Parts: sequence; C-alpha cells; structure tokens
Amino acid sequence: MLRYIIRRIVYMLVTMFVIATVTFFLMKLLPGSPLHNQEKLSPDQQKIILEKYGLNDPLPVQYVRYMGNLVKGDLGVSFQYNNRPVSTMIAERIGPSAVLGFQAVVFGTIVGILLGIIAALKYNTIVDYGATTIAVLGISIPSFVFAGFLQYFLAVKFPIFPVADWGGFKYTVLPSLALSVPVIATVARFMRTELLEILSSDYIMLARAKGVGKRDIILKHALRNALIPIITLLGPMIVNIITGSLVIENIFGIPGLGDQFVRSIMTNDFGMIMGTTLFYSALFIFMVFVVDILYGVIDPRIRLTGGKKS
Amino acid sequence: MNADRLPDLNHLSDELFVPVERKEEQLETIERPSLNNWQDAWIRLKGNKGAVVGLILIILISVMAIIGPSLSGHTYKEQNVAHAKLPPKIPVLEKISWLPFNGKDQDGFDMYKAKNVKEYYWFGTDELGRDLWTRTWYGTRISIYIGILAAAIDLLIGVLYGGISGFYGGKVDDIMQRISEVLMGIPQLIIVILFILVIQPGIMSITLAMVITGWVNMARIVRGQILKLKNQEFVLASRTLGASNARLIVKHLIPNIVGQIVITTMFTVPNAIFTEAFLSFIGLGIRPPEASLGSLVNDGFKSLQTNPYMLIIPSVIISLLILSFNLLADGLRDALDPKMRK
Repeated sequence: MLRYIIRRIVYMLVTMFVIATVTFFLMKLLPGSPLHNQEKLSPDQQKIILEKYGLNDPLPVQYVRYMGNLVKGDLGVSFQYNNRPVSTMIAERIGPSAVLGFQAVVFGTIVGILLGIIAALKYNTIVDYGATTIAVLGISIPSFVFAGFLQYFLAVKFPIFPVADWGGFKYTVLPSLALSVPVIATVARFMRTELLEILSSDYIMLARAKGVGKRDIILKHALRNALIPIITLLGPMIVNIITGSLVIENIFGIPGLGDQFVRSIMTNDFGMIMGTTLFYSALFIFMVFVVDILYGVIDPRIRLTGGKKS
Repeated sequence: MNADRLPDLNHLSDELFVPVERKEEQLETIERPSLNNWQDAWIRLKGNKGAVVGLILIILISVMAIIGPSLSGHTYKEQNVAHAKLPPKIPVLEKISWLPFNGKDQDGFDMYKAKNVKEYYWFGTDELGRDLWTRTWYGTRISIYIGILAAAIDLLIGVLYGGISGFYGGKVDDIMQRISEVLMGIPQLIIVILFILVIQPGIMSITLAMVITGWVNMARIVRGQILKLKNQEFVLASRTLGASNARLIVKHLIPNIVGQIVITTMFTVPNAIFTEAFLSFIGLGIRPPEASLGSLVNDGFKSLQTNPYMLIIPSVIISLLILSFNLLADGLRDALDPKMRK
C-alpha cells in the first residue's frame, strides 16, 4: 500500500511537471507581447518593464526561475489587473465556484443515486425507461444549453429566480442545477448498472434463499456494495464541474474562478491563464489521487497491487 | 390446464409414440441461415428502439447538413441588415397559430409586415440579417465534420499505439504505458484551451487540439484487449503454423477487437462535438462568418430575452445530434458485446 502511494505521488509530480513545462513553453510561443495593451510606452519604458519582470533573460533562465517560483507556490502575476499575484486572485474567486460546485455535486449525487436505484429496482418497466431516458438526455444536452433554458423559463418567462448576479442562496439555485445535470446523469447510469449486476450475483441469491426480506436485501446487501464504486466517479465529476463552471458562471454572471478564466482568455491575460490552468490541473490530479487511495481503503476487495510486480 | 384430460404420465403406452423419420444426409443440414457476428449484431441493434431512433436521427440531421444550406437560396455569410432579427416564418406552418413559425415576435407583432419583407426566413435571421436556416445547417455540417475527423484521428493513433504497446509487451510496453499514464493525468480541457490559444482557432486546429490527449483512451482499450487475446490458443496455433507478427495482428487480433473499437469511436464523436461547442462558447471556437452549432448557441445567448428563437433552434439541434450519437453508441455496445448487456 505504501509503495503504491509513493508510486502514485511520483506520477503526480511528473504529470504536474509536464503540465507546467508545456504551459510555460506554449505561453512563450504565443503571438504578441505581454505589453500588448501598453503600446503608448516608449521603447525605453518597454525595456525597463521587460527588464523588471526578467522577460529579457534567455529562455532557460526564465524557465528555471518560473519552475522555482512554482515550487514556492508563486503562480506569477496577472498582466491585466495591475500585476496582482495570480494566487491572490484565485483565492478571491474560488469561493463562489466552490459553493456552486459543492451544491451541484451533493445534489447531483443524491438525485443520481435515487434515480439509479429506482431504475434498477423497476428494471425493464416504464419507470426504468423513464429514468434511463432522463440519464441519456442529461449526458447529451450540453450544460450551457440546459442553463440557457433554465434561465429563459425560470428567470425570464416566470421570474421565480434571479436571472443572474451573486448574493445569497437564491442566486445559486439555477447555476447549481445546471451544473448538476451531467452529475445526475452519470451517477444514475452508473448506479443502475452497478445495482443490476449486484442483484444478479450469487450472494444476493444466497440471501434470498435463506429468507432475507426484499427490503433488507436491497438496503443491507445490495446498496452498500453498489455505493462504494460511486467514489470513482468523483474524478470525472470534478472535470464536469470545472468545465461546466467556465460557461455557467459566465451565463449567470457569477464572480467565480470559471468566469475569471474565460475573461482572461478573451483579454489574453497570459499570466492569469497560466496560473489558473496549473491550479485546475493540480486540483484534478490531486482529486484522482485521493479517490484511488480512498477506494482502496474503503473497499477491501480492491487490492492496490500497482507496486507488487513479481 | 385440466389435469384429468392429460394421459397418465406414468403409464404411457407404446402406440402413443411415432419414430421420427431420419435420413443420414439430413442429420447435418443446418436449418437456420448462418449469421456472422455483424449480421447478428445488426439484428440485435434493430431490436433496440433507442438505437434505431438514434440512427434515423443521425441520418436525417446529416442529410439536412448536406442539402440544408442550399435549400433556402441564401448563403451562410450573406448579410442583409434591413432584414435583421426576423423571427422564423415557414409557409403552411405559419397558419398554425400555436407553432412559433408565423413570423411574429414574442409580443405577437408581425415583424415581416413591419419591415415589409416578402421572403420567408424559415429559422429567422440574426442581428446582421443572415439567414439562420442556412447558418444552422452549415454549422451542423461543421460540427459533424469536426466530430468525425477527431474520432477518426483518435482511432488511427489509438489503435496503432495501443496495438504496438499491447502486442510487443515488455520494455516497449512499459515505456509506452508510462507516457500514456502521464497524458491521462492531464485534464483534456486544459490542454485544448492552451493549444487553441497558441494556434489560431479553425476546424483543423480545434480537431488537433482535441486529439492531443483524446487518443489515449482508445489506446488503453486496444491495449487491454490485445493483452487479453494475444495469449489465447488460437493465436498460439497461428504462430505455430508460422504466421508473422503482421499477419497475427491484421488477421487475428484486430478483427477480434473491432467491436470495441467501433463502440469507443461512437462515443468519441459526440464528445468531440460537445467539446467544439464548448470551445465556441468560451470564444475559442470557429470564427465568424463561419459557424458551428456551438457558436450559434453562443450568439443566441446575446439575444435570449428578445429573440429566444436564435438560441432555441441551434440548442435543440445540437442536443438532438449528441443524443442520437449517444443512443446509437449505447445500442452498438449492447449489440456488439452481449456480455456487457444490462
């Protein structure tokens, strides 16, 4: 187990290193200079500024300095917002994104699990078909399309919720709902398949043979085992939520990190793009790592034998 | 069932039995036509309602993507500011009052009369007076094209990489696996966004950006399958008979994993269409006057409150397109791999 964890940590570091390197060189390849908006500056002034940020040094020197700063947790500065450190801006912006993401994951998982259970228990009936259809629709309809319809019907046509903006729970309802759609769909599909497989396995038959009631079979024997693998969905879920947040925060005017990221893309704020990219990647990689370890701890049937090659 | 009428099963007399006529040559005849794997899969696919609906929808949308843009007599980039923001109006359907195709805007105001427009714009026009019917189907064409192109390149790289890695094993496999493990760890979205920033957005660059990490999934599946198959007896038999590696791969291994490859590809297409739409949405997609379904949806958002048709029509089409590919892929998975059937 320890060997496995160490191996995984090494992988994590290598992946992060690759991402940081690729990001650095891609940003250097970008057309235009970081002084894009400051064309009024005289050549001398430009030179001073470039000198100040070390942008005149040879590439390897810049690269080593950049990597050194990363290790210290310094993600660089934003080129558009008065050179504020990217890490400060991320810290300011992460709040609303985290609230929405958390609500969407919790709500989506609960609804998804319920939908999956109902579908599996009513296998091959109209209820099952209905639940499956909802799940397929949830995967197929892009979240920004869904967000658009929610906004149009529940905010514009029937003003139950505010159209956009931020400030209090009622502002979070529509965006969280829009974010949770792919979560509901993925969890429901997964849960249904998992539960169906378990219900047709031998130990359920044994339980039935010895006279355990239907309720107890489902609650005590089937559900417990079916719920464990849901953890593995957490990785893809994070991706879903991050992807979704980029567009949904934009649509609902939420001052979160996703909205900030899209803005930096549109204003060519390379410092901010680079920092946010690394932040998202680290978050994703770390979550996948945590999920893999948790999975091994919770379910003793899974043996993490990655390091044991005889 | 009435038990009295049945003969007493314990005392059956011999005359109740008649010997079956059997001729030597008839023993070996096969009554039913023999079916190969694909015919069998086709029969199962036909029985799956979702998959059939998906297939029909894909064919319909594809046909419209091919012929749609030339039906209305407008081009996708032709602008006519005098005809800007006209709601949809379709002959015949305009007479049915509850359908939104009568050329009236949200307040029931006939924009066609107000602007004195004689023409019909089936899906309306955008803020520059471009015909949305043409743009929608033209955008569908671009979206499908990107989806299929990305899936095809993923397939090519993935099968080659996974095949080599799985078949040769040992050191080669080790090194190739380490590379793909690192690539797997990188969130695709991040790489796509970074690459599009560097190379200007266009059909080719968007497709390539998606392929950079997209092929890894295919490679993983192919490798897993090859590993499973390559030690089986039929491969050993063939090798004993002197088959070369190339022959083994082409004749024995690939045909056995075609099902898996097809299924994975079918799931890649809707994903690619979705990613392209997403990129368009955050301003990294196809540039106007070109159009894709994603960029049309994005444009539609700008006038959500005044002209909702600009958002609704492309949204419905992109959702239907992704939905039908997902339905067909689900159906294919069930049909080609009955073991995975649930």
